[in-house]
Amino acid sequence: MTQYTDVDVRPILRAGGEPFSVIMAALKGLEPGHGLRLLATFKPVPLFAVMADKGFSHSEQPLDGGEWEVLFTPVDVAAKEEVSPPPAALSSFDGWPEPTVTLDNRDLDPPEPMVRILAEADKLTPGATLSALLRREPVFLFPQLEKRGFRWLGGFTPDGSTYELTVRAPS
Amino acid sequence: MMGASISRWTMTYFATALAWLFVALALMVAGVGYPAADIASPDTLVLVHAVCIGWLSLAMCGALFQFVPVLVAKPLFSEKCALPALVLLSVGLVLLLAGFLSLGGRLPQAIWLLPLGAVLLVAGFCLVVVDLGLTAWLRPTGPARFVLVGLASLCATFTFGAVFAFGLAGWAGSFGGALLASGIPLHAIAGLGGWLTLTAMGVSYRLLAMFMLAPDVDDRQSRVTLATGASAVAVTVAGGVLAIWLAAESTVVLSIAGLLGLASAALYGRDIVGIFRKRKRRQLELNMRMATLSFVSLAGTAFLGLALVFFDALPAHVGAFAFLAVFGWLSGLVLAKLYKIVAFLTWLETYGPLMGRAPTPRVQDLVAEARATKWFVVYYAAVWVGTLALLAREPAAFRVAAATMTVGAVGIVREVIRTRRLADVACPLRLPPGAVAPYLLFARN
Repeated sequence: MTQYTDVDVRPILRAGGEPFSVIMAALKGLEPGHGLRLLATFKPVPLFAVMADKGFSHSEQPLDGGEWEVLFTPVDVAAKEEVSPPPAALSSFDGWPEPTVTLDNRDLDPPEPMVRILAEADKLTPGATLSALLRREPVFLFPQLEKRGFRWLGGFTPDGSTYELTVRAPS
Repeated sequence: MMGASISRWTMTYFATALAWLFVALALMVAGVGYPAADIASPDTLVLVHAVCIGWLSLAMCGALFQFVPVLVAKPLFSEKCALPALVLLSVGLVLLLAGFLSLGGRLPQAIWLLPLGAVLLVAGFCLVVVDLGLTAWLRPTGPARFVLVGLASLCATFTFGAVFAFGLAGWAGSFGGALLASGIPLHAIAGLGGWLTLTAMGVSYRLLAMFMLAPDVDDRQSRVTLATGASAVAVTVAGGVLAIWLAAESTVVLSIAGLLGLASAALYGRDIVGIFRKRKRRQLELNMRMATLSFVSLAGTAFLGLALVFFDALPAHVGAFAFLAVFGWLSGLVLAKLYKIVAFLTWLETYGPLMGRAPTPRVQDLVAEARATKWFVVYYAAVWVGTLALLAREPAAFRVAAATMTVGAVGIVREVIRTRRLADVACPLRLPPGAVAPYLLFARN
């Protein structure tokens, strides 16, 4: 079992402070193979990408009063204990629900199409999908989607004028 | 993973390239090399290689490490090659230039520096070619094909260069000696025309379409442009080597290559006009407006070449012709695109993780275009005046033009550094919680 060090940043957040440096300091003090249990007043989504870069996977669960507990587990340990996550891009829409949001981003100045897709994607309920129309393949969007745990499927229409993208939130 | 992430070392390449640009400008201001010295003199060789390898090739490599993955929507074959390649290229270039200085008597006799520098440069370029080539090969459509032909031309260029370096040291045999005696134009055309120009064309197709919301140029159409340009380089390299081997005149070969090159530039002009006409974004950003000045310079280079051939004055004025191609067309385009690329990558690196979750600035908020415009205008005007000064054989006027180019370049680089430091982003949006300020010289990715 992975051992976790508790970091409660709720008092800092309630006081309007910025807990990032405290979390990073706690991370530095971790022993190899140990994880971090974070308690926050909101789901600290931006931190997930940062921690993923540092080699930690995350699993979060809501607490009472809109607060969250997040377990950050070193990835090599997580791989032994859990089944590895499915690949980000799927080969078919099997079992994907109809999109709840449809965006036409074809006439927006770059990088606005990417910004809007990410903003809408973050509002999706678990497992829900959104679809977007774009002028070109959003190559810089894919790494962002992957870091945030989304899956996607996309391709050009036969005439090559529009790229159709469907994004599914992690379930 | 699909898609393109941020290239870690692109900023490092850009910074090194800009440092070499300033070295070259300083040499021109100081009157080292052409036009003060002969065009084939060791001093001119120092200047030419500082510009073509140090400035243009390193900037191009840095841009390609970022944009070849964008062209093919696949990650780079190996991110690990980029930094060792930069070190090999930088050390190799310093040794090569030291070899030229020794050749000209400015340093103690040490001609062996030339082959040693050449070996390191070849090693560095091989790493670049393998890494980018294997990446582009995954999906060789449209612009990626230009990059592949550009990389093949790069191989031809550094092979010639290495033979010359060994030839100057007396280690290249009789055919090496013959190549050295009459092969310099082949080396220059493969480098400037094949590697730098075809690659710049390929990348510009995608960048222009991306930034102006235009449909991509039809694949069949750009393929003709590429085939014409690639033939020009192939005719030059294969025909030129054959002519030297047969001890024949290479004039016919170079004339055919010149016609093909002119046709390729004209077809490229047609493609670019098409992108501008079909664009959805009517208001042009600064990098696009300035890129048009570099297209004007390319057209000017083509017309100047034609006029010089017509008046039988190309050998006498080849310096002015090359200067306009290198500083008007290639350097102008690289500076204009670098201005945009740095802003975009800095924005993506800093605000990408927060996008959609917190208010973030727009890419335009990272730059102050009104302030930057004047530096670009100063730069281009100075390049054009410098070309006229070379044509009029006025070395003093040329040095004044070079000094003015330096002023423009310093202004542009200052703007780029401000962009990287997020200095022009208004305070509440500059670093929202969770955002981390980027490093100046490399990217977190």
